[in-house]
Amino acid sequence: PCPGQVRSYYVDWRMLRDVKRRRMAYEYADERLRINAIRKNSILPKELQEVADKEIAALPRDSCPTRIRNRCVLTSRPRGVRRRWRLSRIVFRHFADHAQVSGVQRAMW
Amino acid sequence: EKDKSTTSKGSTAEGASKRQEGTAGTPKQKLLDIIGNMKVEVSYRKKLQELKGSENKNRLEGLDSEDAQRTAEGIQRGKPLNPELVKAASAVASSLPLNKKQTESELLAQLRRHEETTDKQKKGETIDIRNVISEMTVKKQSPAQRGVRISSRISLELDDDGQTIRPERFSSQSFDSRRSLKVGKRLNIFTKASTEPEHALKTVSSPTIWDLEFAKELAAITAQPPRNGFEEMIQWTKEGILWEFPIDNEVGMDDGAEFHEHIFLDKHLEGFPKDGPIRHFMELVICGLSKNPYLSVKQKIEHIEWFEKYFEEKKEFLQEI
Repeated sequence: PCPGQVRSYYVDWRMLRDVKRRRMAYEYADERLRINAIRKNSILPKELQEVADKEIAALPRDSCPTRIRNRCVLTSRPRGVRRRWRLSRIVFRHFADHAQVSGVQRAMW
Repeated sequence: EKDKSTTSKGSTAEGASKRQEGTAGTPKQKLLDIIGNMKVEVSYRKKLQELKGSENKNRLEGLDSEDAQRTAEGIQRGKPLNPELVKAASAVASSLPLNKKQTESELLAQLRRHEETTDKQKKGETIDIRNVISEMTVKKQSPAQRGVRISSRISLELDDDGQTIRPERFSSQSFDSRRSLKVGKRLNIFTKASTEPEHALKTVSSPTIWDLEFAKELAAITAQPPRNGFEEMIQWTKEGILWEFPIDNEVGMDDGAEFHEHIFLDKHLEGFPKDGPIRHFMELVICGLSKNPYLSVKQKIEHIEWFEKYFEEKKEFLQEI
């Protein structure tokens, strides 16, 4: 009954894992921020900073935001993704040619 | 004309004073004499007004003296007019230079109409009118409105004699619309919807599952698909898909906390030692938090409390150093 595509599952497992990482990073964001604040300053004693280093390393690996990969939302392509539309270049081109991306036109100058 | 009008008014005033002094019978004769003696006036309107004024005064005197009889007489009158008034009308007609019979008939017709209206008023309920008037409150006119009305009145007066264009009836329309503008429930389109106190008090403490299901069923059945784009947008706004316009940049952010709660966070620093690098560090933290516009006050306090806990746990370790 719906006009567009109906997506009940993620495109592939890699996308699923990426989704899990994002959720975890959101959970631990505050803690990581605070511990890093202790680590990255020159006022507190170095011993305290070393302890903080160990603590942050003890956090789950997937809570790190650097592990998130901005994949294409539709095809889960890891590369060639335009951040503004969250689409890979191929999908973006497909939609832009069918005039389904607002404000996007073929360049000519 | 002005001189004549002043003299006539003066004469009527004198007549009124004489009437008040004299008895019921003689003043009417005197009135007739006055009307006969009065100079010829061109304005027809003022004559009628004077006639009606004399009529009213006669009537008032009659009411004062013998209420019931007079009213009965008035009711009996119906079509045949008061002979005194007829005499007055004939006198007026004779004084006017125009066709006497025509003027007389016209005056008598006017009198009849006047009597009919007054009879209706008498028969009707005067008490209710008084009640209505007492209930009515005086409306305050703004000076601009008043000026418009006065100007409109003045221009309307000119209209009959001259050929000035009638002003557009803006004042009356705006007046009517002004009455209806502030009446009624506010829609809160341009102002934030203030949470009005709910009139229906909910006595049910915990809604059961069956109640919830029933409510859901009702909503599903009664919710018709949107007939047009506006209803669709309304539905989206209710769901939360579409923002509310005019766009409020602080949706979900504004706690109602004042700026001083965001900036002056020193009071939360009481759990920390006053000297040492930790205090220095926390002051830097507070400085950074006070400059952060994106966090709510609660979040900032949570940050500070976490640091408190952390440093308390590490106290033993720190004391070793």
